[in-house]
Amino acid sequence: MIARERIGTIERLVLSRPERRNALTPAMLDDLATHLENAADAHAVLLLGEGKAFCAGFDLDLCVGEGGDDNLRALLAGLSRCIVAMRALPCPVVLGVQGAAIAGGCALLGGGDIVIASPDAKLGYPVTRLGISPAVSAPFLRAIPDGQGRRLMLDPGLIDGRRAHETGLVHELSNEPAAHAMELTERLTAKPPHALAATKRWLNELAPADAQRGLDTSLSLVGNAESHERLASALKKT
Amino acid sequence: MTDFATLDIAGPIATLTMNRPDARNAMSLPLLDAMHAILDDLPSGPHVLVITGAGKSFCAGMDLKSVLGDENAPPKLLHNIAKLTTRLRNLPAVVVAKVNGAAIGGGCGLACAADVVLSHADAKLGFPEVDLGVCPAVVAPLLVRKIGAGPARNILLRGGLMSGTRAHEVCIVDELADDRDGLDTLCDSVAERLAAGGANAIAATKRLLTEIDGSGDGALAAKGADLSASVLATPEARERLSAMFRG
Repeated sequence: MIARERIGTIERLVLSRPERRNALTPAMLDDLATHLENAADAHAVLLLGEGKAFCAGFDLDLCVGEGGDDNLRALLAGLSRCIVAMRALPCPVVLGVQGAAIAGGCALLGGGDIVIASPDAKLGYPVTRLGISPAVSAPFLRAIPDGQGRRLMLDPGLIDGRRAHETGLVHELSNEPAAHAMELTERLTAKPPHALAATKRWLNELAPADAQRGLDTSLSLVGNAESHERLASALKKT
Repeated sequence: MTDFATLDIAGPIATLTMNRPDARNAMSLPLLDAMHAILDDLPSGPHVLVITGAGKSFCAGMDLKSVLGDENAPPKLLHNIAKLTTRLRNLPAVVVAKVNGAAIGGGCGLACAADVVLSHADAKLGFPEVDLGVCPAVVAPLLVRKIGAGPARNILLRGGLMSGTRAHEVCIVDELADDRDGLDTLCDSVAERLAAGGANAIAATKRLLTEIDGSGDGALAAKGADLSASVLATPEARERLSAMFRG
């Protein structure tokens, strides 16, 4: 469910489960993380979502009933691994975001270096009402001003691409974000890799992110009664 | 010999002009020395310091051309620029960058070290370091502080230049005039507005802001200078720069 293609020196990765708005499964995150970890020789990485939505977050159907807690833990760990892998790559990572980038889908943005989104994209972390903590992405939200980060993590409301652009979560708006992201990625491959790598490494050092701390906080809430109850009742409604 | 930098004082407003217009005010060692000398002797009276460039450009950044043949020169220049930016943060006066034209690489970084950045729609600003095979390590902490880590990542890894209008959108420029003439009017009015503040209140507020963001501590800027110098010394970077200056 991850389509991988090497186009010249560009590693192009696409979340490909459009019938479920690219809802993430543990296996998808495992594949995505592995592809990212193996892309160190690419000149630039492009991450897209197939269909109308970039990514609707975790597949919550997997998070209830027997094995639900284990799946939720695997999803959180896999998500964290993907974000860390994007940051650790020496080359720039560009994301093209159309439609929804919600919860785990929005968290993926935290690993990207350049995010291009459609003005009407919907972004945010509406997960506290499911008894889940979005803390896993909090260390990476330091990329935007603290006030905006707090609001986004604690308020389950969504923001649109325009607002996300104003806050710095999205860096450029486009009605064709995937095509635009590909175009930019191609332009990046004209720049010398050693300069991109040195600059990215220094930027990582200037804004360090304690990924483990965020993941541990999210994991600490898995399996409690509040989240069991809320997840079950949310899924019943839909 | 010409002065590579000049200072004019009009009441509470001092204006420091980089004066190497034939080289787009690129920061050579003599130009940096002249700026440091002016800051050394800055009278305590004015509490607004406007920095601008003579001629059409604000500052084309570090004078790469002058250092290409000399391996010892880049570290010296980079540390000198790092010190200059840290000094501006530690000045009691509020610093206004009047970006009258091109502000490129270290020149744009110099603007980001100011407290307030003014420019006009047609100015060209940006950080093309990655295009040249070098690393904008001295300016990165300044840009991260000014516009945030995420937007800084986008701009520094993209490289290239942007218009004054775009620089205003991404908040590198705080106030924008329509054109070069409009910038004079804008800068006069902003400088007067700032000068209307009490010198002590401005100094105390600026000191606190500098303490909170840590930008008065030169250690990070110095580390950036070392990093930038090490990338500049790589064969890839030297090759790319030589080719550029030959072309």
